Amino acid sequence: MNKYIPTIGIEVHVELKTNTKIFSSSKNGYGQMANSLTNVIDLGYPGTLPTVNIEVINTAIKAAHVLNCKIRRTQHFDRKNYFYPDNPKNYQITEARTPIGYDGYVEIEVDGEHKKVEIEEIHIEEDTCKSAHRGKVSLLDFNRAGVPLIEIVTKPCISTSMEAKLYLEKLRELLFYSDISDCKMEEGSMRADANVSIRKSVSDPFGVKCEIKNIGSISNVKLAIEKEINRQSKLLDSGETFKEQTRRFDDKLDDTVLMRVKETGNDYRYFPEPDIPYIVLTDEMVDSAIKSLPMLPDERRKIYISRGVSPINANKLISNRSLSDYLNKFIDTDLDFMEATNLLLGDISAYLNREEKSIEDTKLTIDKFSDLVKKISDNTLTSKNLKDILDKILEEDKTIDEIIKECGISNITDSSLLNDIVLKIIKDNPDSVNDYKNGKDRALKYLMGQIMKETKGSANPKLVNDILIQELNK
Amino acid sequence: MSKYLDLDLIEINNLLKNKVITPTDLVLECFDRIEKNKDLNCFITLNKEEALKRAKELEKLEITSLTYGIPIAIKDNIVTKDLRTTAASKMLENFIPIYDADVIKKINDSGMIIVGKTNMDEFAMGSSTQTSYFGHTKNPWNKKLVPGGSSGGSAAAVGSRITPIALGSDTGGSIRQPSSFCGIVGLKPTYGRVSRYGLIAFASSLDQIGPMTRNVYENAVVLNTICGKSENDLTSFNTKEDFTRLIDSDITGMKIAIPKFYVNDAIDKEIIDKLDSVVQILKSKNCTIDYVDIDYIDKAVPLYQIIAMGEASSNLARFDGVRYGYSYEDPENIDDLYLKTRRFGFGNEVKRRIMIGSYLLSGENATTYYNKAMAIRNKMRNSFLDVFKNYDLIIGPTATTKAYKLGADLDDAVKTFMDDILTIPVNMAGLPGMNLPIGFSNDHLPIGMQIIGAPFDEAKIYQLGSFIEKELNLDLNPGGDTNE
Amino acid sequence: MKDKLTKEEVLHVANLARIEITEEELESYQIKLKELLDQVNTVNEIDDNNTDYLIAPWQNNSEFREDSVGGMLDPKEVLKNTPRKSGNYIEVPVVISNE
Repeated sequence: MNKYIPTIGIEVHVELKTNTKIFSSSKNGYGQMANSLTNVIDLGYPGTLPTVNIEVINTAIKAAHVLNCKIRRTQHFDRKNYFYPDNPKNYQITEARTPIGYDGYVEIEVDGEHKKVEIEEIHIEEDTCKSAHRGKVSLLDFNRAGVPLIEIVTKPCISTSMEAKLYLEKLRELLFYSDISDCKMEEGSMRADANVSIRKSVSDPFGVKCEIKNIGSISNVKLAIEKEINRQSKLLDSGETFKEQTRRFDDKLDDTVLMRVKETGNDYRYFPEPDIPYIVLTDEMVDSAIKSLPMLPDERRKIYISRGVSPINANKLISNRSLSDYLNKFIDTDLDFMEATNLLLGDISAYLNREEKSIEDTKLTIDKFSDLVKKISDNTLTSKNLKDILDKILEEDKTIDEIIKECGISNITDSSLLNDIVLKIIKDNPDSVNDYKNGKDRALKYLMGQIMKETKGSANPKLVNDILIQELNK
Repeated sequence: MSKYLDLDLIEINNLLKNKVITPTDLVLECFDRIEKNKDLNCFITLNKEEALKRAKELEKLEITSLTYGIPIAIKDNIVTKDLRTTAASKMLENFIPIYDADVIKKINDSGMIIVGKTNMDEFAMGSSTQTSYFGHTKNPWNKKLVPGGSSGGSAAAVGSRITPIALGSDTGGSIRQPSSFCGIVGLKPTYGRVSRYGLIAFASSLDQIGPMTRNVYENAVVLNTICGKSENDLTSFNTKEDFTRLIDSDITGMKIAIPKFYVNDAIDKEIIDKLDSVVQILKSKNCTIDYVDIDYIDKAVPLYQIIAMGEASSNLARFDGVRYGYSYEDPENIDDLYLKTRRFGFGNEVKRRIMIGSYLLSGENATTYYNKAMAIRNKMRNSFLDVFKNYDLIIGPTATTKAYKLGADLDDAVKTFMDDILTIPVNMAGLPGMNLPIGFSNDHLPIGMQIIGAPFDEAKIYQLGSFIEKELNLDLNPGGDTNE
Repeated sequence: MKDKLTKEEVLHVANLARIEITEEELESYQIKLKELLDQVNTVNEIDDNNTDYLIAPWQNNSEFREDSVGGMLDPKEVLKNTPRKSGNYIEVPVVISNE
């Protein structure tokens, strides 16, 4: 459709989920009173020095691992020097020259084909403070200053806006599942910049690159890239040349807007941060960080599907982390995953949504859940039964058997009792019995209905069906 | 006026223990001396009220250390909570820190009483205490001369016996050179020996806080107090030991090296002669004295300029008028705030060094100069370490000259660093080095020698230093009768 | 070799350092910076391709801080030394947003 070939590279900043900041012991938090989560280090007070949060290193090792990167064992931080009011020391401490991870990839599926989006590097750095603009002044809140970030940089290997979107979705899923970040774009814990250029043919050199900064959602990244490709195409069509520039996406205008034309090479005067000696990662550190990773989405998907869960339900489970984590507790058991998934995504989800609870807040112990799934699989409990007793199961400490007994539905699978009921119904409905014998299927349904009514819906339908047919055919 | 502050720490301690005197007596005597020596301009900020309050508090406590109740002067680039800290700059003229440096906590815990913040070159950039925004300090031996720098206020305070102890900081000689000019003992510890947390950074990979005292033993006592690993400083080391332990032990047979570079023509003959007489004493104790080469030691000054000014340009970027300190009153926009705050807030020497540092790190220069300097610095350090494989200590002069006239060399960017050619290599290699007074010039100005140790071997420096000190037995109190 | 830096070079550096300089200072920096450069250039003459950099003189074993929250400042203390403030915020003259 377009006669130009786009080249897209994406830089993503992700705030790490740690208790404290990267270089100080202030709380790493969001949505608190302005300037309430700071200390003298975050404010860049004279005489202060950074210390390195061990969890930042561990988390970055995990990120490098899940993005299939090589992990650098000896690193140092650099100072990136530039004046800006959101930059407390007027230098940012960042791993400019020795990124912790490099040469990795993220695998995405585009129209059924697998593609590797190559990761150039992952480096650790500190976040800036937040500034809000009010007329002639800007207001600074240092709560975010020093929040740990990793920056994930792809090679310029993305060719469509759809690939960009799929990459970001996959990246978010991976980082979220690895407990690396909340990845909430609306809160700024994940921020994406896209570098876009176009050229006529793959044999041409790359075109002039424009960077679209801080795009607020994944769908806007896709849109922004499309708009930018269009903008550049029109310019090239009309024979215009343009300079490298930084743009932003305006969601009201639905288009990218110029922020500034890039100066010729920013002069950041990088040099090694002398306050932080070389960081050397031991095998033990790397191994234990990787070992602490939870199971990742792709592996979960594979396991769920191999145990009979439909691909659609598998994805639904994965998009609900706590349910997926819950189900994973049963991987080493012979639990019926299909039935378990139906239960989790159905009645249990309905309950959790209604009560605004997470599954961890309920009384559904591992034993109770596996008992429940078993009783549903073997028809000990009907879906009607379940609806009646689910609240009790989730809210009370009692076992399933105790609850069944308490609710008077402990005898429904007693076939001798059911037999009596079936015989009674046959006796009471001779017309229907005749109809059945004359080949009218409807009659069987009617008789079933009568039996269920008699048992107040708590009879095992499969058992009833079996007994009824057996008796009718006598 | 009482003269308790002329006694040594052990004598004072006994008087305190026997309740002959109280810490309040010492503080009052100290402020008498401050008043009497006002014209030296040793202090930027005095802490009289708090010091007296602290003295009273101490009287209720048990005497647990030799430094209990002793007045101390603190260089004004070490931050003190609620006590103005200016780094001798207009930029911080009204700056009241909201936290204490690590060393200040240790000083307070050991019962010392902070009487004031001492004058210095602005942001420790200078070797004569003349770049201070608060006027220059005078040398207690001759008021027409500089006290040296940048810790000139601390050196003059101890030299004039205002306080028995002061803290200084040393990036390229800023403790040792003024100690030599003022006739006191000043040690720059091994890099990492003392926490830098709370020291307003000049050049982070070179800066070190150290004790400035009247004699070697008291210097070791203060180092005992301020050293140690800090959880706030990743470059600090856990190395608690008693630095007085080798004092008075025999030095017979010590192996001592003198870098050939340390006896060059640029050094005053009087200084070389005094060093020679010390060498004769050491030889009489069967010490080996050899002259050795150290790789790149002659390049230490340009290497230092690249590294120190590069780091300084970045360290001083935080002074921008936004969060603290001087701020230009009526800026048009943010860049105007930066440009004018830094134009009017910094003095000329500081601006010059920031400019040079920024230039040396800009564009391709970072690779051409800075990276190369770091690599050669590494080699120079290794060459020093090689010497220590065969020798116990290195000695040499501390400064190329004795104290010189106020007003000289203020505007000569190249010359100012030449003052420090003998001290800078020690910072570059991260080694401990101490100035020890070894005599007087013909015009009765103190002359010092430098004793340089292997990393973390300050105890041996003190061992040799105290031996020479006892042999020479100099009268280092300038008294009131300075030559004017 | 030229005997001083160009005005543009000096102005570029002054801008990097965010120090406003007068015309007089500009001229003096053109010469002073060059003098210093000549001096530090002697380092460049050293033929050495070592890339083993010394960042801090003595290398500690990597030491890290445990990830537990420590003391923080009251916003009042944050603003204690601040020249311009508004509510709990530190105020600065307007910045063109890059966000």
